[in-house]
Amino acid sequence: MAGGAEETLAALLREAEALKARLEEERQKLNDVTLASVAERLEAVNFPNLKPRRVLKGHQSKVLAADWAPDKRRLVSSSQDGKVIVWDAFTASKEQTFSMPSTWVMAAAYAPSGNMVAAGGLDNKVTVWALGEEGEGARRRTVATGTAYMSCCVFAHSERQLLTGGGDGACALWDVESGQLLQAFPGHGADVSALDLAPSDAGDTFASAGADRAVLLWDARTPHAVQAFDAHDSDVNCVRFHPGGDALASGADDAACRLWDLRADREVAAYRKEALLFGVAAVEWSVSGRLLFAGYHDHTACAWDALRVSRVAVLCGHEHRVSAVRRSPDGTALATASWDATLRIWA
Amino acid sequence: MDMMVSTLQQQRAVTEQLRREAAIKRIPVSSAVADIVKFITDHEQEDCLLVGFSSQKVNPFREKSSCTVL
Repeated sequence: MAGGAEETLAALLREAEALKARLEEERQKLNDVTLASVAERLEAVNFPNLKPRRVLKGHQSKVLAADWAPDKRRLVSSSQDGKVIVWDAFTASKEQTFSMPSTWVMAAAYAPSGNMVAAGGLDNKVTVWALGEEGEGARRRTVATGTAYMSCCVFAHSERQLLTGGGDGACALWDVESGQLLQAFPGHGADVSALDLAPSDAGDTFASAGADRAVLLWDARTPHAVQAFDAHDSDVNCVRFHPGGDALASGADDAACRLWDLRADREVAAYRKEALLFGVAAVEWSVSGRLLFAGYHDHTACAWDALRVSRVAVLCGHEHRVSAVRRSPDGTALATASWDATLRIWA
Repeated sequence: MDMMVSTLQQQRAVTEQLRREAAIKRIPVSSAVADIVKFITDHEQEDCLLVGFSSQKVNPFREKSSCTVL
């Protein structure tokens, strides 16, 4: 019996090695051009002066997550101080503050309806609040209860379903109304750090990034990863779909951002400089996907020309790590959140 | 023995995952990149963070007075 199992194990290992080699070979065979060589004939980005327009002050400690409301005006942020704040970014004022049962609220999301926010962290849960129209008492409900901390969450196209990722290495889809787990997506070999939904309105595709150095692509209807990208050299901290929907950007502790094409099934560009030594905490796209914004542990954010693979602007102002970078839904502004306890709006 | 079984199960899952990944249809990087470039070119004019605002009045976050930020 034990001998048989050993034999099977050896056969499985052999097959896995052969498959890996074949995958590598197939991906390499189709690698006929580099992005930068194609982009050479395009005009360089004439980067407009992106100015700091607002500073949102009110958190007592590191801001860990941020998300825009669909109204392009409000933002939700969460912090190490255990607070979740809904901001009016136009006036730079706090509209509502929610207290969480624990510190380190690492996940925060605005519902696409604009009527709900979700947040969670070291409490191993995600809580949602129905926002009162006039800011009166908000209804609060626990949606997701996990066995480890929650690092990220996003509403899945409506306020009825919520996707979460966390310290147990799994993503999970929850029913907001009942709080029931609809589907678990185990697959990462270590903590999940970030999630993003594909841009199409009704799609079931989402991506996750993890401390296992991998970026995984999922179909929410099945519990198996559809595609795996694992070429970062350290923990992957963030992942965002290109607005075109066929590519992903990721950022990692190896100080690099990478562009993955889903249909070519491989990396097509790496965004890094020798002068950039610190990890990437957040990546975000401009509306067209020409600019890739990245937030670094070195207190700066920057904009890369995604096609010509060159850095075109550096956003200075934060006094500690940049933890989140989010573009407003209509693409008119960029929000950055930082461990310096502030959020900044750039436009 | 239990350890053996769980290692076997793990390896089976890994190999099955690789089989699924190996079965994916792929396209050449040149055509993938061409599609990315096309999407960007088609949408560049709507991208305020890239091309700026036609007038600062359209920028919802413009300063209303001449105060210095920070």
